[in-house]
Amino acid sequence: MPIVSMKAVQKWYGDYHALKDVDFSVEQGERVVICGPSGSGKSTLIRCINGLETCDAGSIVVNGIELTQRAGSVAKIRSVVGMVFQQFNLFPHLSALENCTLALTEELGLTQSQADEKAMQYLSRVRIADQAAKRPAQLSGGQQQRVAIARALCLEPELMLFDEPTSALDPEMISEVLETMVSLAEDGMSMICVTHELGFAREVAHRIIFMDEGALVEARDPIGFFERPENPRTKKFLSKILR
Amino acid sequence: MDNLRFFEIYRSSEYLGLLFDGILISAGLTITAGLLGVVLALVLASVRYWQVPIVDRFAAAYVDFIRNTPLIVQLFFIAFGLPAAFGYTWPFWAHALLALTINFSGYFAEIFRSGFASIPVGQQEAAAALNLSKKTIFRHIVLPQTVVTMFPSLSSQFIFLFLTTGLISEIGVPDLTHAGVFIDSRTFRSFEVFITLTILYIVISLMLKSTLQIWFRSTIGKRVSD
Repeated sequence: MPIVSMKAVQKWYGDYHALKDVDFSVEQGERVVICGPSGSGKSTLIRCINGLETCDAGSIVVNGIELTQRAGSVAKIRSVVGMVFQQFNLFPHLSALENCTLALTEELGLTQSQADEKAMQYLSRVRIADQAAKRPAQLSGGQQQRVAIARALCLEPELMLFDEPTSALDPEMISEVLETMVSLAEDGMSMICVTHELGFAREVAHRIIFMDEGALVEARDPIGFFERPENPRTKKFLSKILR
Repeated sequence: MDNLRFFEIYRSSEYLGLLFDGILISAGLTITAGLLGVVLALVLASVRYWQVPIVDRFAAAYVDFIRNTPLIVQLFFIAFGLPAAFGYTWPFWAHALLALTINFSGYFAEIFRSGFASIPVGQQEAAAALNLSKKTIFRHIVLPQTVVTMFPSLSSQFIFLFLTTGLISEIGVPDLTHAGVFIDSRTFRSFEVFITLTILYIVISLMLKSTLQIWFRSTIGKRVSD
């Protein structure tokens, strides 16, 4: 059973057709990188998966749960899907540790010490345990993004969504975040990653998807994608960014 | 300027006593109404945040009503209008406390409401993706950040409202303004009396302001600045 299955998904923002009849599925343990020019619908696509955007037509099934208008299905899906954002979106008044423990103590009923222990385990996993007491403003962008990854991992998701996780980072911070993602990949985490980091895509993706104007244009294994792209739009995109 | 008679006026312990009592009444009523007003404002703003059916409409209307009518009319309505209609008698200070609390709560509620609404979309999306309940989001994300970011606005609004409380002298409360007006009517030394009031109001305002700042820095603000 695929962990994500989208069928004939349509999304409009007013008159703008953001997702055009998208069929997309991801297998358990699969790592998919989505790339494409800005405005191509990449972010919209992954934001539909955990209900941050609602689609206007089509069906979305995540981990066997159908996403419907009922609030219950969204909550069930979010409980197995972690998300990492371009702007980190940490809670600025809470320490790195508290960012990680909030959902554990308030929603999952763990005691503070259980939650702290679990959070420290994942903060160590992203190699930032020594900064646990600091607030986001006291951390670099790369450190904040690693805390955000740990925060998502604390809920032990089946699938991780990354929405341009390195796009807001200074160049020297990008590698520490990518390394963290590679190490997650090595553990077999199912991942869907919107990114322009094609080196990362080549290294960890099972499949690379090229999107343009709201449609999936080409879906290939990394070698095929980079060496023998078929669609002219993919070729044009690659020629622009690979130079 | 050599005909100023400060000494003559304040030689009278009666006048000094009136001013002293006036300070206590003005500051005491302001602080009490401020505290009650903050609590009421939090309730009003929360009701609107939670979109409690019907009640949120009333809260919105209440805030608009308070912020768009003059304090002096609110005072007269509460001190004379309502007792005339319902036939009860309260001491002057109770009318003043009720009117000031209601007045303060309207302004504070608007500050809280704008604070609640100013949590960045990114944080709201992160909270949604983490499956945080609306209750957790409000208690642990919205409320603590609002209290911190809105404190300067609340504080300056509070000082401004303190300065408007002189109007309670109009319903017979012997506050600081009332004391000044009374001493002036007895002595006809308007310049000396109102210079004295001006200085006293400045001193009390600055004291209230710095007390609030010190309290904030040593409690809530401590977490933010260290």
